[in-house]
Amino acid sequence: MLTTVVGSYPKIPNRPRPARLRAAIARFERKEIGEDELRRVEDEVTVEVIQEQVEAGIDIVSDGQIRWEDDQTYFARRMDGFTIDGLIRYFDTNTYYRQPVVTGAVQWREPIAANDYRFAAAHSPRPVKALVTGPYTLAALSANEHYGSFGELVLALARELRQEMLSLEKAGAPIIQVSEPAILKRKEDFPLFRQALEQMMEGLAVEAHLYTWFGDIEGLFPQILELPFSTIGLDFVMGSANYEIISRAPFAKKLGLGIVDARNTRLETVEQIVECIRRVSDVVSVENLYVNPSSRLEHLPREVAETKLKRMVEGVRQAQEVLG
Amino acid sequence: MSEGLLTTTVGSFPKPDYLTRARSQFSLGKIGREELAALERQATAEVIRLQEEVGLDILVHGEMERGDMVAYFAELLSESMAIGGLVRSYGNRYYRKPIIIGKLHWQGPMTVEMWRYAQGLTDKPVKGMLTGPYTMVDWSFDEYYDSRREAVLDMAQVIHQEAVELEKAGASYIQVDEPAASTRPEEMELVAQGLAVATEGLKAKTMTHMCYGDFAAVFDQIVRLPVDLLDIEAANSDYHLLDLFRGHRFDKEVALGVLDVHTRRVETLEEVKEGIRRGLEVLPPQRLYIDPDCGLKTRTWEEAAAKLRVMVQAVREVRRELGIEG
Repeated sequence: MLTTVVGSYPKIPNRPRPARLRAAIARFERKEIGEDELRRVEDEVTVEVIQEQVEAGIDIVSDGQIRWEDDQTYFARRMDGFTIDGLIRYFDTNTYYRQPVVTGAVQWREPIAANDYRFAAAHSPRPVKALVTGPYTLAALSANEHYGSFGELVLALARELRQEMLSLEKAGAPIIQVSEPAILKRKEDFPLFRQALEQMMEGLAVEAHLYTWFGDIEGLFPQILELPFSTIGLDFVMGSANYEIISRAPFAKKLGLGIVDARNTRLETVEQIVECIRRVSDVVSVENLYVNPSSRLEHLPREVAETKLKRMVEGVRQAQEVLG
Repeated sequence: MSEGLLTTTVGSFPKPDYLTRARSQFSLGKIGREELAALERQATAEVIRLQEEVGLDILVHGEMERGDMVAYFAELLSESMAIGGLVRSYGNRYYRKPIIIGKLHWQGPMTVEMWRYAQGLTDKPVKGMLTGPYTMVDWSFDEYYDSRREAVLDMAQVIHQEAVELEKAGASYIQVDEPAASTRPEEMELVAQGLAVATEGLKAKTMTHMCYGDFAAVFDQIVRLPVDLLDIEAANSDYHLLDLFRGHRFDKEVALGVLDVHTRRVETLEEVKEGIRRGLEVLPPQRLYIDPDCGLKTRTWEEAAAKLRVMVQAVREVRRELGIEG
């Protein structure tokens, strides 16, 4: 049973600790510092958040997506075929992102996150998980003004993002998380989803995890187990029905167990965490579990995220004692 | 008495630079509450003056004393809410997201003093402005309640008490905004229940503003919300929303957003007139109000003024074409 995160980590701490990244971006926008200086601060903050995850006891960390404005535009800005439009709400959160608009043929130009991975890996004592926004979610959260159908766009993105997966594999990422929260909102698209992900994963040997959040997989189970990933990550907070759903068929994969609420500051008790792990342990044996927050930690204040991770690690330690 | 196409705005106005500076000095402890409050009143007076000068019919006080529409109330509900750490909203923007930490209850008037001050400056009606119970809860963390429903219904009592105080003070329009409402179609019923509690027994005209969402999915419920007037954004979405009104019978009044507040560009007179005419295709002028899509706080003072001037001019010309009095 290993602990991990689902990607983003809060970018700035609260007073009295300095909000260095926020200040650097503001100074960059006012042209008081150059891009080199901004990159240097991003590097420092990346090291800092890796350190925080390690100190909390997380086994497989992420780079915190410190350089990412959001999951969508980090890729859209670096691929051909996109322009970036106005602010739009990220699912049902009170968080916004600039909506990518597909105005031409989408095309992968060059490695997007490989250097980020290399940097993080070089500064982390623990394995670093690389992150890729999946083709379905990237398409669903963009506006399509070019392709004849949504399906064509999804498949085109799958083809192009395969290049990114290959580049991360080549960079040595031990695990790549493919983030696909949007499929939970339009489950009837599963055949397209499957086709796209199979295409994206073709010929890849790297360990890949498929993560969803903000809902349950009612209607997608057990088909989701047929997808070419070793691990399926699920949200058991907003998708509490997942406990029951996954008990309906043998779970022939590893499970990313999202049990610490990444959208509310209320702290889980160690007992609650142990209980959540116990509940799924009948269906998935504990050695096949990755325990992680329910979604991206960026929706929480930094200190709360840190405390929650520590609590989660303590819960996992106790669960290991209780459940063996 | 007007025969229709009354003009108003959604609520917030841009803060003058001196107020923005004073707010940051206040947060750093460099100036006191009194000094800040005096500047808030000064800015409010400027907002009222601008609206009178532009010629709007129903005024707002401009929300000069509010930073965030949820945090403003959360700070005053100090016995049951706390202000949490910084959370990113978008880009490099962060806000302190409130936390519900105890049973929600009204502690005393939160908006009456500023409303009274603003209303004292003008003969035109000034709207009482409240954040709706659903949005208050949805945009806060919750460490106290076991269900969103309980939290929303308790918050609705708080907002109701405040609405009653505004009405007692003389407010004839009370707006209860629910910008979070359209994000979860499955909770529209809860939004409606919260608003029903908040507006219960009010004689003032009640209204609610909504934006950013998939209205089509919840339209049947939106037209039945327990308010007299629905305020919707339309310019930003090319007036698609109006098509929904065609197929539905409903008796509410509608405030139609004809200015896109997310762009600096000032709409042309013709564009705005066209927007008003499109509204008139589905609603009689007596039930149609004209306003911007959303709060103006993201625009500069000059942009806001220029946009509103075009809007008022467009309304005047359409009124003239229809032969109705303003």
